[in-house]
Formats: sequence, structure tokens, C-alpha cells
Amino acid sequence: VPEFPALTEEEFRRLCEYLYRRSGMIFTEAKRYYVERRVHERMSATRSASFASYFACLRINARGENEHFVNALTVNETYFYREEHQLRCLTTDLLAERIREKRKGEAIRIWSVPCSTGEEPFSLAMWLLENWPRVDEYEIEIIGSDIDTKVLEQANAGVFGKRALMRLSPYLVEKYFSPMLEERWRILDDLRHSVQFSAANIVEPNETRIHGNFDVIFCRNVLIYFDGASRRVAAENLYENLLPGGFICLGHAESMSRISPLFEVRRFADAIVYQRPAGDPN
Amino acid sequence: MPLVRKPANHSPGPKPDASKVLGLLASANPVERWAAARDAANVIGGVSAIAAALPTEHDSRVREAMFTSLARHATAESTDAIIGLLRSDSANLRTGALDTLRILVGAAPELLPRLLSDADADVRILSCELARSLPNAEATHLLCVLLAAEREINVCAAAVDVLAEVGSSDALATLNECARRFGDSPFIAFAIEIVIHRITSQSTPARA
Repeated sequence: VPEFPALTEEEFRRLCEYLYRRSGMIFTEAKRYYVERRVHERMSATRSASFASYFACLRINARGENEHFVNALTVNETYFYREEHQLRCLTTDLLAERIREKRKGEAIRIWSVPCSTGEEPFSLAMWLLENWPRVDEYEIEIIGSDIDTKVLEQANAGVFGKRALMRLSPYLVEKYFSPMLEERWRILDDLRHSVQFSAANIVEPNETRIHGNFDVIFCRNVLIYFDGASRRVAAENLYENLLPGGFICLGHAESMSRISPLFEVRRFADAIVYQRPAGDPN
Repeated sequence: MPLVRKPANHSPGPKPDASKVLGLLASANPVERWAAARDAANVIGGVSAIAAALPTEHDSRVREAMFTSLARHATAESTDAIIGLLRSDSANLRTGALDTLRILVGAAPELLPRLLSDADADVRILSCELARSLPNAEATHLLCVLLAAEREINVCAAAVDVLAEVGSSDALATLNECARRFGDSPFIAFAIEIVIHRITSQSTPARA
């Protein structure tokens, strides 16, 4: 990355205000170094001579620059046990609320959308088996959906590289995976067959409705890439797919409050999530 | 294992029947109205039916779905319907219309100049906010055109607030002239001073 001058205080403030309005992401002076590094990387990639010209490029979304910049700011890769605090919130708080209305043996439905190559839905399965003492009392259905049928094929195959497993302890790797050649691991068949995968575009009501209602939806790091109208449609689709009182978990940099007023914000010890109001008719 | 995988058919469902959808916009059941409001996005006649239903819709989530469907139509007719609701006496409808126009204005360049020259000062105030979603140069130009002729101080204040984010050095002369014009108002002079400081603190002018 070539040398660029540091952002002035006003430039940094302007950028942060823009990011907040655009994506809900909040950056303060404490994150200046991190943000500035990403700005300079993107200035270099877009051959912008100054921050002003880069900011203009960002605001008009020239060549998809908004997406590139947000990608640079967020760690946009998928791996097992990513954002573990949300998984902890699931077993500590969310499921406790959901089972208050359920009898033993009833179904708990969890949707991972988009699920990419399967790390998230398989993480949910493993986390529940390892960390939720009441896991045997209910029928838990986990569905992973994505618009990209190629990644669904990979998810169904259940083969993962070293990087995808980097957050898992050796105990978990040994328990749930069998080693293959060239630093690849295959997830155990029992686990692989416990997750269902399907194609779905979350901005198409006809493709989301057929998946039924869920207790919890994980929809992380995708809404930020949509334009305003598509984002609202997606939010309404997800709302329809939640049972009254059901929860939706977004990526750490995303905020449903800026997209749609349909959900209530719930703050738990480990995560902020959004809830379809329990009183909303279904 | 407590994890279960149930057989399921995830093929897309059938397209909704148009006449049934439009009829259900007037249903007494809010769940049916919600579904109809969403389905009306893909139905001929959906815009006029939604525009007629919105002023009497009392369920906020159904209103939200109706506005989203108008946005999805993205036609001149649907835009006119949304602008009409910007003039409503109902704050809910005005807010809904503004939020919807915000997501449309980038794709319809003719929309904002029209709104910024509206005869109604309240519409002009609300519309200044929409300029945030435009490229810097375009937003700066439109807001400067407005500021140069605007006589309502509250409209100017709204435009100045947006220029704090989008304004380039091209706005400096207009901002200074505006400060002079409203010289007896310390509030607007203070707001303009802050914006000018922001713009002149940039390394080079923004060009978009």
C-alpha cells in the first residue's frame, strides 16, 4: 500500500458518519488506525489520489466500492464457530425463551441463511450438541439455505480445509471430523445428514415462504450488500419466516433497526438480536 | 441424535392470483392484508390499489409492507403515489413515504429536483434529507440551487445539515451568501460556519 497522508479529524468524522448512516457500523477514534488502514488499501486499489476523491467514489458506489469497503472492514470469511458469542447467546438465552412455549419433544427450527459452504449450520449443530443440556428433549431441525447452488453442493459434501476449522479445539475436530489427505477433513456422516440444505434467495418471497416458520434465524453479513429496496424485502421475508417471538441474529456490523421497524431489539449478555414481537399474529 | 432432518419440498410456490390479492387488501384480517400488501408488488393494478388502501391502513406492519411493494414496482405511477403521501397530514404516512423515497432516489435522478422545488416547504425540508443518498457533486449542486433561492430558513437549515456530509468546496460561495442573507439568525450562521470548516478541512475538493 503506497503512503497516503493520515485522514484529518474532519475527514475521519465524515467517513464515520457516512458509514453509520449507510450500514449502522460505528467506528470511533479508538478504531482510527484500523479504519485508516482499510481506507488506504481501498484508495490504492481504486487509484484515488486523495481521500476526497475516494470518498466521492465510495458515496456513488463506483464499481461496487461500497461492497469492497465494507468487505475490507468486516472479516468476510466463513469458518466454524464464527462469532461464537452469538452461539452462546443461542443456548443461554434464545432457546430458553423459545422452549417456554413448547412441550418436550416439540420441534425447534433453526435457519442459517445464507449458509455458504455449510460452516454455520454445522457449527449450530455441533454447538447445540456440546453446549445445550436440553438438546435431547426436543426435535431440532437445522436448515441451511443459499442462493448459490455450487456452495450448497460443497456444504452437502461436508469437506473442509484447515482454515475453516481454525477456531475448533482438537477435541471437537477429532470428535466430529475424519481426516482426509492434504489437510482436509470430512464432517461425520451423522452430523452431515442432520442438516438439510436448500436453495433460496432471501429477496424472493416465493422461495422463502416455502421454508416455513423458524424459532431462530441466523442471517449474517448479507443484508449489507443489498440496495435499500431489496433489504426491506429481505427483512419482510425473514419476518414472515419467524414464528411470533422468534429471533434473528445478524452480523456484528449489521442493524435491523435501520432497515425495518418490524422487529424489536433484544439485548442479551452475549449479543444483540432482533425479535418478531410475540404478539404479532402469524 | 436429537437433530432431525425432515423431508421437505423447497420448490418455489405458485404466483398469487391478482384479483384475489387486490381484494384482500381490504380484508378485516391484518394477516391477510399483510400477505396481500406483499403480493401486490407483483400484480398489475397493485400500485393504485395500495395507494387507495394506505391512507386508511391502521396496522403499522401492513403499511410498511405496502410502502415496500410500492418501491418494488419502481414506476412513475408508484413514485407519484409515494410523493402524494409525503403531503399527508398523517406523520406515519409522511415518514413511510420519506423512508421509501430514500431508497428510490438514487435510481431516479429526476425525482429530487422535483421535490426540492415543491411549493410546500415541508416537502422541501423532508426532501433535503434524500440528497444524502446521491453522489457528492450532484447532491452539492442540487442543494446549492435550492439554497440560492430559498426564503424559508428551516429549509435552508435542512440543506445545510446535509451539506455537512456531502458538501464540497463548490458549495462555499452559496453557503457564505446564505449566511449573509440570514444574517439576523445566529443559528444558521453557526451551522454554516461548521459546514464551511468541515469542507475546508478536506485535503482536496471532492469530485464525483
